[in-house]
Amino acid sequence: MRMLDWKRLAAAGLVTLGTMTALPALAQNKVLKFVSWQKDERGTGDWWGSVIKEFEATHPGVKIEWTKVERGAFADTMTTLFAGGQPPDIVHLASFEFQKFAANGWLEPLDPYIKSAKLDLKGWAGQDTCTWNKQNVCVMMLYFGYFMAYNEELLKKEGLEVPKNYAEFLTAARKLTKDINGDGIVDQFGTGHETRGGGGQYMSEMMNYTLDAGARWTDENGKVTINTPQMIEGLTRWKTIVKENLTPRDLAAGEVRQLFADGKIALKMDGPWLWPIIQKGKARDQIKLTTVPFNPPVGGSSNVLGIASEISPENKKLAWDFIAIATSDKFQSSYATLGASPPPDPRADTTGASKETPHFDLLVKATKAAADAKVDRIPKGLELQFNEFAKMVMEESQRMIIQDLDPKVVAATMQKKAETLQQQ
Amino acid sequence: MSRSAFLDLARPSRRHWLGYLLLLPAVLLIGLIIAYPLFVSVDLSFQNVGIPRLDQPRRPFTTMNYERLFTSPEFWNASWTTLKLVVIVSFFCFLLGLGTALLVNNRFKGQSLARLLVALPWAVPEVVAVVVFAWIFDSSFGLMNWVFIRLGLVDTTISWFSSPEAAFAVVCVTMVWKGYPFVSIMMLAGLQSIPEDFYNAARVDGANAWQRLINITLPSLMPVLGVTLILVMLWVFRDFSIIYVMTGGGPLKATQTLSIMTYEQAFGFFKMGYASAIGVVTLIVCVIASRLLMGRAPENI
Repeated sequence: MRMLDWKRLAAAGLVTLGTMTALPALAQNKVLKFVSWQKDERGTGDWWGSVIKEFEATHPGVKIEWTKVERGAFADTMTTLFAGGQPPDIVHLASFEFQKFAANGWLEPLDPYIKSAKLDLKGWAGQDTCTWNKQNVCVMMLYFGYFMAYNEELLKKEGLEVPKNYAEFLTAARKLTKDINGDGIVDQFGTGHETRGGGGQYMSEMMNYTLDAGARWTDENGKVTINTPQMIEGLTRWKTIVKENLTPRDLAAGEVRQLFADGKIALKMDGPWLWPIIQKGKARDQIKLTTVPFNPPVGGSSNVLGIASEISPENKKLAWDFIAIATSDKFQSSYATLGASPPPDPRADTTGASKETPHFDLLVKATKAAADAKVDRIPKGLELQFNEFAKMVMEESQRMIIQDLDPKVVAATMQKKAETLQQQ
Repeated sequence: MSRSAFLDLARPSRRHWLGYLLLLPAVLLIGLIIAYPLFVSVDLSFQNVGIPRLDQPRRPFTTMNYERLFTSPEFWNASWTTLKLVVIVSFFCFLLGLGTALLVNNRFKGQSLARLLVALPWAVPEVVAVVVFAWIFDSSFGLMNWVFIRLGLVDTTISWFSSPEAAFAVVCVTMVWKGYPFVSIMMLAGLQSIPEDFYNAARVDGANAWQRLINITLPSLMPVLGVTLILVMLWVFRDFSIIYVMTGGGPLKATQTLSIMTYEQAFGFFKMGYASAIGVVTLIVCVIASRLLMGRAPENI
């Protein structure tokens, strides 16, 4: 009998040992897929790296497979991954594109996870955008407000003060646009906007002027409000800036930012991502930051984090753990420091960021001003049709400039087309 | 009949089976990577679907995508733009390609280098070529504006990508630059296969250079010309990267071809059913155009 007990004990021991060695081996194989366009971005990419490091340290045997896909190809790639039934476990999307994925039921409702983790999203900047069918399907990772960067030396040369409103801005932009070397080609511009590329960015550039004129694409109920005197004024301002060549023409956003950083553009309204570009530019010592001369500033939600609805419950739990780390007060505080951007978490400690980034308080102020005015690039009621809407706005605005159309006529056309899109 | 005798592929009556058997892997592969996606596209074009999933039930059959397509001014505009592009780019590719081929077919010092230079644009990746041309035609800091102003051809800079006509011209120039070397290489191969005796006989008969070109060179090149024309036209018809990177189809859809429209509807607006319908129509047009040109080829030969 005693011999039998020993045998049983030895067998149990072997099984236990086998299980103990086998389990980590199984866990070692666990890989969560995370696809993002921000992998190599200075600051933000480093922050994502720190979140992954923390996750892997707290989840032994689980690895994050972090893949970079260029922003230009991101929507295509994600669509293909989801449509092919191979979605990433942790879903990173731009805030203007997640709606299509949510509408297809590809994003896991996060409310049970938020409730279980007791994640307080009160005051979380831009979180309203993540609501789909009255449920949170994502967590907002960045909500930004525009500031104005200006080349102090260029302004001084012309004896100009920093503009405080649209009229002063227009005067300054006109004076600062000039042919420096007399070869017949304008080589210094008053301001800089993207006028070629995607509709979303084009619309954001226009919004500097339309928002200041008091215009909105839609109202709080999602009703299209383009054919208004305010929008006509906003369109007139945009037409003036582009038609008078106060901005370089036909350049993509990145090229315009580089020109500004190199001292070829005097005034530039942009988001927090401009700062790292300025730092690498030729004119970095001449560039100063201030609030935009417009009210309210352009602002909006940027990117979101969610969970694919089709993955296993175990992977969903792990993906949520990843989101929980990214949205923790600790990592939201480090987001402010590493990303040099105001984090959406209202409880994040940003004192470190304020010390390291001289303009950080300005960013916070700009973000607050945009959030208070409920500014977003994605018009309410047109979320699902955003890409088409943005493209339509861009084309009609280009038509206004190329064919010299009356902004009143253009606003009426846009209104009609937007309403048609909404009914689709 | 025994089982082994049935499978005996060496028997004369079974010998053709071996051929089919050897073809089978290639047929299966073609079926998997060409026929199946084609079938899926045609099937999707008859469904009202945004982002499709192959594991989900098929949506009801509908012809609404085609109805919408044929009543859409955007589709007819894209078709017209595609046609214009095909005609203009193919014509200039042939003109330049034939010209350069005739040039480098002559014996002269540096002939090898000249042939290399003629073929060089063909070796440059499309995206790289587009980046170079985008800089040359940049509205604010581009080389072309600088040259035009220096030569006194214009007083002020031209916004190449803000004008529908200028943007279309820039796309054509880039495509011709990228496409003519292929024609040149094909023509050169054709020229070298023309027996020298033909020219000698013509010279004896007193034919001048122009007459030799019209009566010997061009007729002899016809078989090569036919095939090259089809290949160039199909390339222009379905080319995506040059236009997408350079203008994205703008401004005001001036450079929006059927390929660009398909991509935009599929991955910009996530309307895969509608995009599939455009793709199917594009395919049909390509097949008909190729068939018409191929049909003429034997007569020319």
